[in-house]
Amino acid sequence: MRSFRPLLVLPGALAALTLLPAADQGGDADRPPVPIDQGLAARGKPIYERFCISCHGPEGDGLGYSAQWLDPMPRDFTSGIFKCRSTPSGALPTDADLLRTIETGIYHTYMPPWAVLGDYNLRAVIEYIKTFSPKWKDEGPGQPITIPPAPPDDEASRKRGQVVWNNMQCAKCHGPEGKGNGASVPTLMDDWGHHITPFDFTTSDARKCGNTDTDLYRTFMTGVNGTPMPSFADSLKPAEAWDLVHFLHTLRKKD
Amino acid sequence: MKLRVLAIAAAALSVLVPSRAGAIPAFARKYNVACSSCHEAWPKLNDFGQLFRDNGYRMNREKDNPAEQNGSYWPIAFRTTVGYQFAQQEGVPVDQPPGETTTKTGTFGFAGLDILTAGTLGEQISFLVVYTPGLGSAGFGTAPADGDLESAFIGFHRLLGTPFLNLRVGKHAPDLPVDEHRILSLTQGYNIYHFHPQGSTVTFEPGENQAGVELYGHSELDAIRYSVTLATENAAILSNNWVSSPVVWGRVSGKLLLNNGFLPEIKGGVFGAVGWHPTQALTTTDPSLGTMPVNGTAYNNQTYEKYGADLHLLFLSNVNPLDITGVFMGGSENQALITDGVRSAQWIGGFVEVNYTPNFNWVFYGRWERITTTQSGIDTLPKNEGDLTALTLGVRYTLEFSNRADVALVLEGSQVTSTVNGDSVYGTKPKGTTVLAGVDFAF
Repeated sequence: MRSFRPLLVLPGALAALTLLPAADQGGDADRPPVPIDQGLAARGKPIYERFCISCHGPEGDGLGYSAQWLDPMPRDFTSGIFKCRSTPSGALPTDADLLRTIETGIYHTYMPPWAVLGDYNLRAVIEYIKTFSPKWKDEGPGQPITIPPAPPDDEASRKRGQVVWNNMQCAKCHGPEGKGNGASVPTLMDDWGHHITPFDFTTSDARKCGNTDTDLYRTFMTGVNGTPMPSFADSLKPAEAWDLVHFLHTLRKKD
Repeated sequence: MKLRVLAIAAAALSVLVPSRAGAIPAFARKYNVACSSCHEAWPKLNDFGQLFRDNGYRMNREKDNPAEQNGSYWPIAFRTTVGYQFAQQEGVPVDQPPGETTTKTGTFGFAGLDILTAGTLGEQISFLVVYTPGLGSAGFGTAPADGDLESAFIGFHRLLGTPFLNLRVGKHAPDLPVDEHRILSLTQGYNIYHFHPQGSTVTFEPGENQAGVELYGHSELDAIRYSVTLATENAAILSNNWVSSPVVWGRVSGKLLLNNGFLPEIKGGVFGAVGWHPTQALTTTDPSLGTMPVNGTAYNNQTYEKYGADLHLLFLSNVNPLDITGVFMGGSENQALITDGVRSAQWIGGFVEVNYTPNFNWVFYGRWERITTTQSGIDTLPKNEGDLTALTLGVRYTLEFSNRADVALVLEGSQVTSTVNGDSVYGTKPKGTTVLAGVDFAF
């Protein structure tokens, strides 16, 4: 199954290359790896087996027995590719990134929030998750990006944000009204060849990588690894990214 | 004769089978999580499961609304236990030859059947209905043959946008120190939740689901919880009030995560109840049934109280813990609520329960329970009449713990000894022993 991946990835990769600005896919392979704490990982194993295995599978490949019923598919930890990060595109996430994802869960998916288990257990699970991919042995997590303070969310900022939205061709995927129904949608695939639907900004503020403005800014500047959503770190200035964040507020239909 | 009836009632506790709702695989199917996500050892909830329940059966990730579910999803679950049960009861009176004997029964059968439906009706609305059909052959041949809705409630959550304000309306389980509906043991419930002093006319038992309203709340991660239930006392003669034969049950609890590998979590709580039970009523005479009290006319309410505290120590891990729980409970009932009462009746009791869950397949459990009357309301009975000691030991191996079903092998034994004085026929220490080897399963 995995041998077909390059073919399946192709459409998504083409979409990213042709429709979107060039993304920094470099990561930081020179960053020295942080040795996995085997004791902590051993403590995380029974926690993983109890709470995570049904979706992410005993091998961490995202092929647990529940996976066949899930859309989007559970994360494949063997790839070392993580969507929600504070680190540059292509880089491994920090422990804090993984903790944030596990604690809060992922909206609009079946990944629930596990914060009730407490840091002590979740950090052990994170260490165990690292044992699934050799990538963690070869490189360290990327350096978290710096997020400047948000400027005022005013009319002028939102108008500038709309210009950014147009210039970056966000509508090609997210649609002219932000409904996630852009012209490129049929071609969008993730790295595993699964079709991906862009986020619908009109119906919810609860986005996969967090629902605060800071989370949104971070997503623009780091991209969503494994998907056609690129990093705009090389294309946008911080002020422009904040303007785009503010513009997205205007797309939300108020209940 | 009355003593004999009381003694038989006490002995009947030896076959007190806990009411069950237990695991609801329909949730696992809805969210595609393993049952082990919510159950430390099925059917006992862990912290994640408790929070899921407190949140109104919601994960809170905008996937809870039934309108978002596949139309083929049907939130129905079934649970039963089949197997073999041996029961021995000492001191059972017989007529021929006059005296008492020890009864022994070994039965292949099943414990009962729960038909559960539960889930969400809207973004912030939940429900649970549990129907237990009346099956004369249930309870390994000892169950009453009348079916009932064990639970039937609707929940409204995050009122005013805060998890501290939620409302359940209908028949629901009061917030107990240890939830009897998710009890591990199958041959023995928590006697303390069902205890009445000798001569009591009160019918309120916190172990039974109550028809009423529950206001409850919790912090985002359940560090603090509270619950207040206002209910009508089950099976009481209805008094002439806006809320007839009312009872109020409340509990405040909390937990502390200590983030270490020796004692990672402590939980505790205090709880109590006060009820008003009528002692008089207008009557009517039916030609066939005789003189009957008339519902809605009862008056002269007198009070009864229950109070207690609980402590739960989770050693080694709070995911697969060695869980030691202690529950203390006491109560008193007004003299007027005791048949032939000359003073109020008072009692104390409690249990210590140890559950060890080395992994999600195995759980070993044991419980010692003791209830002592500290003041009898009846002069003609010794103070220790009806006092009770119970011991339960068991092991449970879960074969299947998937996102669809639970299957567990159970081997369990329990023994209850009660004190019955002054009844030459019945003896003084009736003892009931039950052994169960069965398969507990839910789908």
